[in-house]
Amino acid sequence: MSDQHSAFVRSVADRAARHPAAATILVLALFPLVFPFHTLAINILLFGLFAAGYNITFGYTGKLSFGHAAFFGGGAYGCGILIANYQVHWALAVVFGVALGGLIALLIGLLATRTRGIYFAMVTLALAQCVYFLFFHASSLTGGDNGLRGVNVPRVALGPISIDLLDPMVKYYFMLSLVGGAVWVLARILRSPFGAILEAIRENEARARACGVNIEATRLLSLVISGMVCALAGALNAINLSTVAIDSLSYHTSGLAMMLTLLGGMGTFFGPFVGSAVFLGIEHIVTGYTERWQLIVGIVFIVLVLYFPRGIWGSILQRAGK
Amino acid sequence: MNGSAILSTRGLTRHFGGFVANRDVSVSFPQGKLTAIIGPNGAGKSTFFNMICGGLKPTAGDILFEGKSLVGVKQHHFARIGISKSFQITNLFRDLSVLENVRVAVQAIHSCFDLWSSRTGHGEWADQAEALLCMVGLQERRRERADSLAHGEQRSLEIAVALASDPKLLLLDEPTAGMSPEETRGIMDLILKLLERRTIGLVEHKMKLVMGVSDNIIVLHHGELLAQGTPDEIRSNDEVKLVYLGKAQH
Amino acid sequence: MDLTVSLIAQQLVAGISLGSIYVLVGVGLSLIFGLLTIVNFAHGALFMTGAYVGTYVFMKTGNFWLCLLAVPLATGMIGLFAERLLIRPLYGRGIDYPLLLTFGLAYVLMDVVRMLFGVQGERFDTPDALQGAVDIGVGMFPLYRLVLIVFTAAVMLALWLFIEKTRYGLIIRAGARDAQVLRVLGIDVSRVWLAVFGMGSALAGLAGLLAAPMRGVSPEMGIPVLVEAFVITVVGGMGSLGGAIAAGLLLGIVVSMTTLFAPEMAELSMFALMALTLIARPQGLFGRKGLLS
Repeated sequence: MSDQHSAFVRSVADRAARHPAAATILVLALFPLVFPFHTLAINILLFGLFAAGYNITFGYTGKLSFGHAAFFGGGAYGCGILIANYQVHWALAVVFGVALGGLIALLIGLLATRTRGIYFAMVTLALAQCVYFLFFHASSLTGGDNGLRGVNVPRVALGPISIDLLDPMVKYYFMLSLVGGAVWVLARILRSPFGAILEAIRENEARARACGVNIEATRLLSLVISGMVCALAGALNAINLSTVAIDSLSYHTSGLAMMLTLLGGMGTFFGPFVGSAVFLGIEHIVTGYTERWQLIVGIVFIVLVLYFPRGIWGSILQRAGK
Repeated sequence: MNGSAILSTRGLTRHFGGFVANRDVSVSFPQGKLTAIIGPNGAGKSTFFNMICGGLKPTAGDILFEGKSLVGVKQHHFARIGISKSFQITNLFRDLSVLENVRVAVQAIHSCFDLWSSRTGHGEWADQAEALLCMVGLQERRRERADSLAHGEQRSLEIAVALASDPKLLLLDEPTAGMSPEETRGIMDLILKLLERRTIGLVEHKMKLVMGVSDNIIVLHHGELLAQGTPDEIRSNDEVKLVYLGKAQH
Repeated sequence: MDLTVSLIAQQLVAGISLGSIYVLVGVGLSLIFGLLTIVNFAHGALFMTGAYVGTYVFMKTGNFWLCLLAVPLATGMIGLFAERLLIRPLYGRGIDYPLLLTFGLAYVLMDVVRMLFGVQGERFDTPDALQGAVDIGVGMFPLYRLVLIVFTAAVMLALWLFIEKTRYGLIIRAGARDAQVLRVLGIDVSRVWLAVFGMGSALAGLAGLLAAPMRGVSPEMGIPVLVEAFVITVVGGMGSLGGAIAAGLLLGIVVSMTTLFAPEMAELSMFALMALTLIARPQGLFGRKGLLS
């Protein structure tokens, strides 16, 4: 590689590092142009957002949660129920879904952040199962075991323009506009004074406390933010699939968020989307051959934890830093 | 006791299960003076120190800071009230830069929940951090990772971080531990300079250091207060001599 | 009036038998956490594996007593392998990693069982010698469940004797307080941890076997058990064996009584108990404050 070439690459990388949101959105915008499977691309986009939300809690705050499905599913059902049962406008439904996810995060957070250390994982799992149980049994609203159907948003009206969501490519860019917005807000938050406090807590909690940081309140707020992002992903997914499965509240979905974040790279901005692309891509290929999907997931998990704790993007960043 | 006390304890006691780490300790920290807490190993200095900076809840007794009780106050309020501490074992934000270590400590007092503005936009916090780094002589190393500093430099950074909240009472736990004589002198000079605007409490092992510069000395032994007073009073105290000073070299 | 009293009494006993399973599961998890500070997310899967190993051995030999021996041995060994090969490399890397790894392990165990036994569940018939019901004064009660209660009590007694009265138990208790103590004494801490993980896994498998005649077996049977085990540990107090026993029995009784009055709320009652504990006494019934800082 010539000197000019490597200097150019470095300057681009520098620019990208300083504007992670813009770089991420740019890559995501170009993605469907090089990737022919547009329906899969939408899944990658939405689950990437889900993982990005999870990343706030796990990667940036350093707390392992097993309950994020409650936020994702809460957002999905919140949005889906309003659209399917009450014919509410999609935008309002999405906002409601996000708010509901945030509320669930607040409630779970109030109980879970009273615990320390490893308790958090256990409590979030149990509380998320509780949410699963509640939604399962409210079957008149949620459809119970059969899931919620009829979340139909075939067209989106933006003033005079009507966007047809039946074309996967169009749907992708519509979703991207919202996902991009969320990514931008997230970047802003991470760059804010609050973001600096999050870093400090992650680095050294005792020190942060001695400096005057209210650890519990900060953790609660970051959990609520995380919940709202995951809820947005869930709400958009409900619109994407026109259904909401009860499985979106199960611990499988929480495990999926963990997996994607771990695979892509915790605490990195772009990592969750990388993880999403790789994981969903592999799933797409492997399920063509075998049903033993959990075996693969389990083995990948174990290998990641043992040998690649930084994930794919995390390892790339680490290598590049040298 | 000269001058009014900025912090005083009354009957401060701490039990750990069956073990009594501190019993009925009543002392005061005169305002604007340097108070040293000394005592042999196991005297209960760490426990006492942790209680007055909010890390441990007393089993009994009271702590008064500027007349108000500190018992039950959560630890993260202490920095805002005006009490700041440095840790005995260096406890920094290891992966963050030297400057960021101090900057975030400055910011923490002013703004924790601002989610929107840019952290670098508030230049005054970085400026304050730089000033503190100059005070401890670390301004040249500001961009390096805290982890990469030598031990003595890390101890200095600890103090800078503790100063970030502009405390009225600065509590230092063996700040010169593991430092060379030169570095130790530098820290003691800094401490004396800081006394111009603050009260300082110091837990120390190095007797010579402490006797030479302190205004007030608290001697703990087996968790209880053995003696309290000026260095001269302590030097001439028979009990102290028996227990502690008798073994030290002058 | 008489019917209601006997009904309640029967539910109480049913609660204790349900609680016995919870106790075995909870104690296993608590042991592992108390000493290794690892939350074993494969605990439910080990429970399930124990049930399946039992199904297999019972199918081949028809001898339930052999199962009681073989199952803890089998799941104990899985635990030993897992600790040695997979979890040990993670020590010192932070408390989250063993948790994540055991999560992946759970997935692997479930799919392996699916591959060997199929995805459908099966029944596990109560062994002939333990079938039938017994009059316990307030009504007829299944013999199997009574034996279960007695057996669990015996296992807990044996465990208590082991931990309180033997030298090896002393090592475990010392290690739970402070691993440094063991190192200073020249004891190989890693072997202690290996053994404890094996014991915890063995208990989980045993619980699965004993639960099989009551619930049947399926690859997914371990999932609710994992959540139940967590609730027990939260309510009883992390790392406290006495707490796990008390909480396990309490949970069994609460769930059983709720089933009597409001069956749909039975699962919810479990979470309500946990939420209550977190609000009123976050360290659990017998937990030590600040244990987890």
